[in-house]
Amino acid sequence: MLTRRDFLTASAATASAALARNLFAAPKDSKTPSADLEKLGDVALREAKKRKASYCDIRIVRLRDQRIGLRLSPERGTGKTLAVPSVSEDSSFGFGVRVIVDGAWGFAASPVVTPAEIARITGEAAVIARANASIQPKPVVLAPVKAYRDRWQTPHDKDPFAIPMAEKLDLLRSAAEDVKKNPRVFGGAAGLSLRSEDKYFASSEGSSIQQLILQIYGNLDATAVDREKGISRSRSYEPTQASAGWEYVPEMNLGENAARIREEVVEHLSAPAVKPGKKDLLLMPSHLCLTIHESVAHPTELDRALGYEANYAGTSYITPDKIGKRIASEHCTFIGDRTSPRALGTVGYDDDGVKTSQFTIIGEGIFRNYQTTREQAHLVGDKESHGCCQADSWATVPFQRMPNVWLKAGPRETTLESLIAGIDDGILIDGTGNYSIDQQRYNFQFGGDAFWEIKGGKKRGMISRVAYQGRTPDFWQACDGTAGPPYWRQFGLTGDAKGEPTQINSISHGCAPTRFRQINVLLTD
Amino acid sequence: MLTRDEAQKLAQKVLGFSTFPECQVTITASEQAYTRFANNGITTASLNLRHNVAIVATREGRTGATGVNDLDDASLAAAVKKAEELAAISPPDPERLPAVSPQKYPAMSDYDERTAMARAPEMIPHVKTVIAAAIQRKQVAAGLIERSHRVTAVANKTGLFGYHDASDSQMTTTIRMPDGSSSGWAGQPSMRLADIDSARLAATASEKCLRWRNPQRLDPGNYTVVLEPTAAGDLVRLMANAFSARNTEEGRTFLSKRGGGTLLGEKLFPDFVTLRSDPFDPRQPSSPWTGDLLPTSAIAWIDKGVVANLVYDRYWAAKTGKQPTPGGAGGGRGGGGFGFGGGGSLIMEGGEGTLDDLIASVDRGLLITHFWYIRGVNPQTLQQTGLTRDGVFLIEKGKITTPVMNFRFLESPVRLLKNTQRLGPAVRVRGLEGGMMVAPALVATDFPLPSISDAV
Repeated sequence: MLTRRDFLTASAATASAALARNLFAAPKDSKTPSADLEKLGDVALREAKKRKASYCDIRIVRLRDQRIGLRLSPERGTGKTLAVPSVSEDSSFGFGVRVIVDGAWGFAASPVVTPAEIARITGEAAVIARANASIQPKPVVLAPVKAYRDRWQTPHDKDPFAIPMAEKLDLLRSAAEDVKKNPRVFGGAAGLSLRSEDKYFASSEGSSIQQLILQIYGNLDATAVDREKGISRSRSYEPTQASAGWEYVPEMNLGENAARIREEVVEHLSAPAVKPGKKDLLLMPSHLCLTIHESVAHPTELDRALGYEANYAGTSYITPDKIGKRIASEHCTFIGDRTSPRALGTVGYDDDGVKTSQFTIIGEGIFRNYQTTREQAHLVGDKESHGCCQADSWATVPFQRMPNVWLKAGPRETTLESLIAGIDDGILIDGTGNYSIDQQRYNFQFGGDAFWEIKGGKKRGMISRVAYQGRTPDFWQACDGTAGPPYWRQFGLTGDAKGEPTQINSISHGCAPTRFRQINVLLTD
Repeated sequence: MLTRDEAQKLAQKVLGFSTFPECQVTITASEQAYTRFANNGITTASLNLRHNVAIVATREGRTGATGVNDLDDASLAAAVKKAEELAAISPPDPERLPAVSPQKYPAMSDYDERTAMARAPEMIPHVKTVIAAAIQRKQVAAGLIERSHRVTAVANKTGLFGYHDASDSQMTTTIRMPDGSSSGWAGQPSMRLADIDSARLAATASEKCLRWRNPQRLDPGNYTVVLEPTAAGDLVRLMANAFSARNTEEGRTFLSKRGGGTLLGEKLFPDFVTLRSDPFDPRQPSSPWTGDLLPTSAIAWIDKGVVANLVYDRYWAAKTGKQPTPGGAGGGRGGGGFGFGGGGSLIMEGGEGTLDDLIASVDRGLLITHFWYIRGVNPQTLQQTGLTRDGVFLIEKGKITTPVMNFRFLESPVRLLKNTQRLGPAVRVRGLEGGMMVAPALVATDFPLPSISDAV
């Protein structure tokens, strides 16, 4: 526990912010971790050895988040537009130690990054592991991993935290004001979030790895209200959230998209309600990313399939006996990938110290591989991990989290237009809306951010109140085409929750516009 | 953990670094210990310690915020400076109100020393109890037991200071058949770890798992339902944000009147529906202050079926000439509801009958254990979708007769409460998605279950 003395010690003696900055600082192009980090890591590894741990790793992590937002809304009484800003920056620094003692895991974490506290917390982790071993049916087995000494960082040109705040606010103000230009738009908002994670990992198997992960998220929202009819509608633009430097921000095209959503939210307000029934769907990458996430990425997590998440996230309809069997149409090849450029789940090494890679999850509709960690690989007869171990903070336990999972593009000659031309009665869906799926990932329901009717092979006007509901294996079997590589886009999701206590993961899912036949469409409120 | 005096000294130190007329400091320190189990063994266990200092600096309506967990003087001074730098380049906030003056916060009774200090010796026996019960019936148990101790302190340059020391705990378990053919769940949140009844939780989840084997396919449609307290709480708590006076007056909630105005004072629900907040209710104490740093006190939102109050935070109260409500989340510039997020007080009054009485009152309907993956479909009507989970049973002529397959639902808690016929006793519940409240079992008619789920 954190004693009163520890708390006061932390506030008085450690000079930890300066420590954090200096610890992670490095000469440009350095390929090895900082010597100071390695010294701190050694404290945990030595203490664990003393405590008879068969394995130990330590992560020392510094997280920074900067959030900037601007909301434009009417003042009560006058109707005058008020611009309400919010700017904040948070940082968090600490370490977590995992050990295996007597075949069982133990974990402890502290924000007081000193050699003495690292030794003490390592001891706590060992005590916890020993207690756990009393109810451990089988000892933990870790797949082999190479020892790495390396430094990796998100490829970037400009540090987003170094960009003046005024430039960020100007960008958001301009976009939000564009959204609000139409007087029928009730409210507009624009936001930008920046995240950086300095992470050092050392393990008793010889690895010493320092990483810097940078992420940028943006959003633009418009709301319209019809008080007479008692309805309100929204329209959003979420540019691809990316692992990148500030040089990526102009590519978000906030200004151009502000004008688009301004007009679309007004059209959405008066858009006729959908006529429910079986329809063909054309799902854009900004929407299908979430359907892939929920119905393909989650059910191919091995810990779910084997019952380790049964109490909360659930299990999976894709059980190990389905390896080598068809679970989707031949148009569906899904890749697990923690290396794809700018994807949120892309890192050099996972939190097991495994070098990241690409692997096939579903190949032309046939289930091939689960997502795994070192602890899980042997459970499905694999010799090595697919590098999917991750914790969302220094204070949380690393466990199996999904990588970026993307759907391979179709043939080059398949275009958005050719997919639409093949639909007699259908709906094009853009952006994400409400989403829900059962604990084995069978029955799902998805809304969207905006909907267009497709009639006789042509895209028509907007419609509203749409959701579709289906059964995952039937849905992916109903996929009969996906557009070619020029249409492929990836979108990031930043709030993927799993585990108890819940941890949050950020990953990207890529795809091209994709067509599904005869899906059950619902009329919602 | 941080004492009141230490928190006050730390807050004063931070405020001492401030050069702006306004500065607000929020200090949090927490310690959490938990053990997870699955497949009849412990999978992970953790002890984690965290602390954070959040600083909000304001000058001439311009505000900047920082958070830091480095507690040395240099880091705290740098964090205050950073907040002031952010404020200086931020545009003035036209909805900003002056800092809250010193307040007298109520004393809470939500700290239990044994819970706050508990470690493996206090928690592992509960895990052993559940796993032993599952093994005895050739079942497989998964679950979580956790306890937390959290200190929160707030201060600003007007002399305001508040300190809150709270502990909490919970245990949940899912017990399944080894072949995955059935599943049962039970959970208990408790301010005192000593009150966790793991034997009862194991018996409930195990029995439910045995009874739910071979669930039958029942046609989708509208059913009379008996919602167990966790299931009722899963939905009712989602009404919170709709009570925002601002959102309602702006035409964006179910309490907005068509053409303008609100439904405040109108009777929308049956006489026996009362929904309120009471931070002193021992079943679920909450924060002594609102999000606006005003003292909390008891308040009714729905009183005997009538919409009794909307949430006015300081900003919207000032705009409309009202008093801020003492139970609102506040701080959202009028956008907040009454829920306080996960730690707030929300109580739906119960009725006289037991769960068995409710079941006996139903001629044909369904008993639902709890819900999963609940998401809003329409923020205005509060229509939600989600799925039943871990035990659904057909009730015929007042008796449970047949296990049935899971359903997806598509319904608003507003319609649910309008269609409610009868209530059971209210208990504290915590849904799978973390929301807590005190909720009763209830019987409601016409609950839409439009599709079947194969999930077990």
